[in-house]
Amino acid sequence: MSVDAAATQGTAPLPRRAGAEDLGIDLSDREFWVRPPAERHAVFDRLREVRPFAFFAEPEIPNMQSGPGYHAVTRYADLEAISCQPAVFCSGQGAVSIQDIPADLNDFYGSLISMDDPRHARIRRIVSKTFTPRMLERVIASVESIVDEVLVEARRAAEAGDGTIDVVADLAAPIPLRVICDMMGIPAEDRALVLAKSNVILSGGDPELVDVEDPLTDLLMAGIELAGLMERLAAERVTDPRDDLTTALVTTEVDGERLSHQEIASFFILLLVAGNETTRNAISQGLLALQEHPDQRARWVAEPELTRTAVEEIVRWTSPITWMRRTATRDGELNGYPFAAGDKFLLFYAAANRDPAVFAEPHRFDLARDPNPHVGFGSKGPHFCLGAHLARRELALTFRKVFEQLPDLEITGPPARLQSSFVNGLKRLPARLGGAA
Amino acid sequence: MTRIAVDGERCVGSGACEALAPDVFEVTDDGVVAVLVPEPAEGDLPDVEAAVRTCPTRALALVSEQPAGAAG
Repeated sequence: MSVDAAATQGTAPLPRRAGAEDLGIDLSDREFWVRPPAERHAVFDRLREVRPFAFFAEPEIPNMQSGPGYHAVTRYADLEAISCQPAVFCSGQGAVSIQDIPADLNDFYGSLISMDDPRHARIRRIVSKTFTPRMLERVIASVESIVDEVLVEARRAAEAGDGTIDVVADLAAPIPLRVICDMMGIPAEDRALVLAKSNVILSGGDPELVDVEDPLTDLLMAGIELAGLMERLAAERVTDPRDDLTTALVTTEVDGERLSHQEIASFFILLLVAGNETTRNAISQGLLALQEHPDQRARWVAEPELTRTAVEEIVRWTSPITWMRRTATRDGELNGYPFAAGDKFLLFYAAANRDPAVFAEPHRFDLARDPNPHVGFGSKGPHFCLGAHLARRELALTFRKVFEQLPDLEITGPPARLQSSFVNGLKRLPARLGGAA
Repeated sequence: MTRIAVDGERCVGSGACEALAPDVFEVTDDGVVAVLVPEPAEGDLPDVEAAVRTCPTRALALVSEQPAGAAG
């Protein structure tokens, strides 16, 4: 065990691998993740205050070898320090899974999110240009018409039925799904497949979405189906290039080298899954938060200029991705905690986003919050969310248009929460369109 | 005089700077940022400073230079 630089400014180092059993806290308990957000945040608050590097045994997954355990990072400062030292805290041993991923799955899900520089930087640059604000101006018009289309369909669905809709299925899911499918050039008839398979990939093992006895097979099959879709499209784009991201992926060279078949497939899956699941949950839980804070909603409706800060606050408040993992590449010490090579750290963005050291009244939903240095798109470092601009534009347009076109939207029941520690997700959120009743 | 310095090795083209100061920064076809106005006007400085602060990969810096041009 490392004891180098154990004393930080005269204070004793924090004890290694201290658990949280005495606090009655177990973040590996699957039931914890379907509890209401307020309860989960109370637990994060407690950990942040008294056990900032709490150590937990890894959750058991059938057919997967559990590793030694992980540290839960809940303080903003610790999370940022880890995030901006990618050479010491790497992503290449897995960023989206607590367990080290078996090789056959890593082939599919080991794209740049689970990759380190210099390879990561090389691949990231291929797509960076597609996701810049300037390039996005081109797709904004299509995002706007997609939002309009989805809102009209939701109204129609309510009127055709009993006035009720599911916010997730009728609003929050189709908007980002259509946007990312359009960007990738995926035909409309394949959207349902993309949605179903990305739901499985980011199911977090929720028993409604995967076979709990054998979740890995379901995950692998979902990846294979999406890779199949990619192969079909890629073959078409090689002979018939178009103005879409899939064409860019199959034709772009980096340092004179094209992406391999495997790299394209796994990157394609990453973009689909990431483009779908995160924005969806920011929309659904943003609408829920607005219903729970009618004063904030009224203010935003009246003040369109609030949109910039409002979108940031919704991302902070919902933190759609709860954590990413890093693994120490050597022994060392971080803010008083002596770590060893191989130690796993889960960066709990959801917890850092409520750290009172950074956010005044962190549990207040304040659409005018400014500055708002949230880590909902990740903290500093090379893995900062590639789709942040796109997400911001999608969210801004969606909320403003909901206010205009569905002013009578009323959430009528509790949400069905996804049983996942990784994605802070809703499966269903019942609502009613009053005017349709 | 204040000059913008870019570390091309660190930049991953996130475009965070371009979102904050589109007249000053542009992510190019190489996927790396280009500084359109290396010595930004006084009025642009708040946005440029915000861009330097928010850069996720800390690839940007503001360098103060003596008017005589002696500083490198």
